[in-house]
Amino acid sequence: MTPKINIDSLQVIYPGRGRNMPVEALAGVSLAIADGELVCVVGPSGCGKTTLLRILADLEQPTTGQAIIAPDESNRPLKGMVFQGAGLFPWMTVAQNVAYGLQLRGVAPRERLTRAQHWITTMGLERFAQSYPAQLSGGMQQRAGLARAFTYDPQVLLMDEPFGALDAQTRLILQATLLDLWEQARKTVVFVTHSIEEALTLGDRVVLMSARPGRILHEVMVPFARPRDPITLRTDPRFSALFAEVWGVLRAEVEHSRTAELEMAP
Amino acid sequence: MKRTRTLSVIGPLVLLLLWEAAVRFGWINRAFLPSPSEVFHSLGELIASGQLARDVSVSLIRIGAGFVLGALPAVGLGLLMGVSPVARALIQPFAAALYPVPKIALLPLIIVVLGLGETSKIATIAISVFFLVVLNVSASVLQVDNHYFEVARSFGARPRDLFWTVALPASLPGIMNSLKLGMGFALTLIVGVEFVGANEGIGWLIWNAYEVYAIDRMLAGLVVIALLGWLLTVALDELEYLLVPWQKPSRRIKEARVGKGMGVWWNAIRIWSYTAATIPVVLGGSIAAYEGRFHHPWWLLLALIGSIAIQAGTNLVNDYYDYKKGADGPQSLGNGGSIRRGELTPRQTLGGGLLAFTIGSVIGLYLVYVTGPFIFWLGLFSVLCGYFYTAGPFALAYVGLGEIAVFIFMGPVMVIGSYYVQTQHVSGLALLASLPVACLVAAILHANNLRDLDSDRQIGKRTLATLFGRAGANLEYYVLVGGTYISLAVLVVLGLVPWLTLISLLTLPLAIRLMRIVANEHEPIKLQPVLRLTGKLHMQFGALLVLGWVAAWAWSTFG
Repeated sequence: MTPKINIDSLQVIYPGRGRNMPVEALAGVSLAIADGELVCVVGPSGCGKTTLLRILADLEQPTTGQAIIAPDESNRPLKGMVFQGAGLFPWMTVAQNVAYGLQLRGVAPRERLTRAQHWITTMGLERFAQSYPAQLSGGMQQRAGLARAFTYDPQVLLMDEPFGALDAQTRLILQATLLDLWEQARKTVVFVTHSIEEALTLGDRVVLMSARPGRILHEVMVPFARPRDPITLRTDPRFSALFAEVWGVLRAEVEHSRTAELEMAP
Repeated sequence: MKRTRTLSVIGPLVLLLLWEAAVRFGWINRAFLPSPSEVFHSLGELIASGQLARDVSVSLIRIGAGFVLGALPAVGLGLLMGVSPVARALIQPFAAALYPVPKIALLPLIIVVLGLGETSKIATIAISVFFLVVLNVSASVLQVDNHYFEVARSFGARPRDLFWTVALPASLPGIMNSLKLGMGFALTLIVGVEFVGANEGIGWLIWNAYEVYAIDRMLAGLVVIALLGWLLTVALDELEYLLVPWQKPSRRIKEARVGKGMGVWWNAIRIWSYTAATIPVVLGGSIAAYEGRFHHPWWLLLALIGSIAIQAGTNLVNDYYDYKKGADGPQSLGNGGSIRRGELTPRQTLGGGLLAFTIGSVIGLYLVYVTGPFIFWLGLFSVLCGYFYTAGPFALAYVGLGEIAVFIFMGPVMVIGSYYVQTQHVSGLALLASLPVACLVAAILHANNLRDLDSDRQIGKRTLATLFGRAGANLEYYVLVGGTYISLAVLVVLGLVPWLTLISLLTLPLAIRLMRIVANEHEPIKLQPVLRLTGKLHMQFGALLVLGWVAAWAWSTFG
């Protein structure tokens, strides 16, 4: 079977400006992701995992190599993104934000509101549909961000540390919500995070990246059966074993990137 | 909180008292600085003589024309510069080089090119507003966070989507700010522009006071300028809230989902109530016609449109505040009309109301311009009463003054106003002849309050009906409807009004039927038709009355 996403020897070099040296963000990343797979990408900060996602979203171009998403038969959009700070437009109400992707695709106002309403209700935001983002808490904003992505209904969902800015409790709740949604839709998802627990809770597979320049170090298949519950998962002995395995690989990288930073400092 | 507010009221008052005392006791030479009371006295004189109204409306027309002519192209060009680097490269150096030139310094040059007339004054304001706004607008587009563009692109936005869904809305707060700055500029400039080669306008008023050394009048002019500035700022704040509601979400009330189309506006402005706004205007015109002084058919038409616009504005603003007060109250029992039926959002309703008021004001200013200041005070008073009918802490409709306000405004005030537009005179006859219609229009409102008597009592909305109780309220209805016919009869018997107007007595059967219903029913559902039929009675009575006046004119002219 051909993979849904095929990433082939991606290399990204940011050209230097003035006295700054050129920076190599990604150094030959190759990855194949199957249709309907939920892959989590974990790595130390600045390892280029966000760059990888932005290339998939067409917000950036690689220096060499390519990343191809194979379209399916449907006319659904190829990819959609969920941003770290939710990225809601402050000038639109929650309902307008959620329906934004459909608006761009030329869906009639009545239909796009009906479709948006479905996901707004699923996310428990019906009371806030006509509120502006500034009136919502961070957690609710990210719920609206998820509703926007699911209303857009892309073939591939790209998620860039969507829960990174939330407190631990809200984060757990939203992880459970995302697992629920994914059970319903079974989309291909690339989920970038720096939290190992989050990656093990959500992913079918966890991909570990090295410190800059980013390379793929290691992959872990996550064995837990679905549907999953974020809390009971944590009591599973395999969870701690996997955590230890992943941490063992990452630890060296984190320390390596710290020493590199210290050496670069004047 | 409360204490600081008290202090901020007391502070200026104390200062005024000190100033007054200083002049009275001779600590300050009153030749240089007259006392506040003298300033207010001369302000009163300016109002009474009609000079102030003329000068203010002339200045407002100049500011308005200059502001619109300068700001509109500036916003367009500023947006273009914000999104297109090519446009920016072409225009920026030019705009940036001219921006620091004090535009008042260009006035002589503009006068040389355009002459001393209105054009040069409007052009000076337009040019300065233009440069200020164009630079600020392009800057605010450039300041839009790039993140929003990325979000839009991740959803497949094309360049024109980026403009309409991101660049434009995201820079609206900046655009509004630059418009406010531009308005400040326009206010500053109008004075300077009118110092030179003008013979009317608020700046001229101040300069002229200086030339004849009337310091009190000069200070009165300054007070007026300050008030104008404050009013225009309030107006722009209101506009900002309408265009940029997400900036002040706290002020916002929950917006219900709404339908589309002109139909909902048609319902919201309550077209049936328009006979109340049109009959008095036509009546005033027909009285002028009877006297052979119907000279300006077009102005009658304008007065009609203007009064319909103010009526529409009143209805919409009332919907908004009724809804808001109801929505804010403990029991949520407002009657926000179209808002409650979910046809319009509160914001749309308020916006529509303010737009209607604006149209009414523009027509009003034109009529002031052609007929004189009397209409200015009439119009200002009407708009204020229309707005504060339900708005503000002392909302007329909530303190039992609704009928009285309607009686005065949709009776004598409108008839006299329309008569004045034709004749440029105020007439006692027009006042007297308006009384029957005034009674009936108050009866319409009272029919409404009669129906809502019980529910109004529950939410504590005070109307004459709730104050009088059921029996007294019924009596009030008989007095108003009966008074319509009695006042007409008396006027005819006294020979003040032509006998042909008695043709409106043809409506008596309907009137009697209505009084019977009121006497026998007290349930809202049974009283519902009374409201509609009283409106119908007003329309039929008014139409026949106008017919009577016109027939009397034809009789005397051709008979």
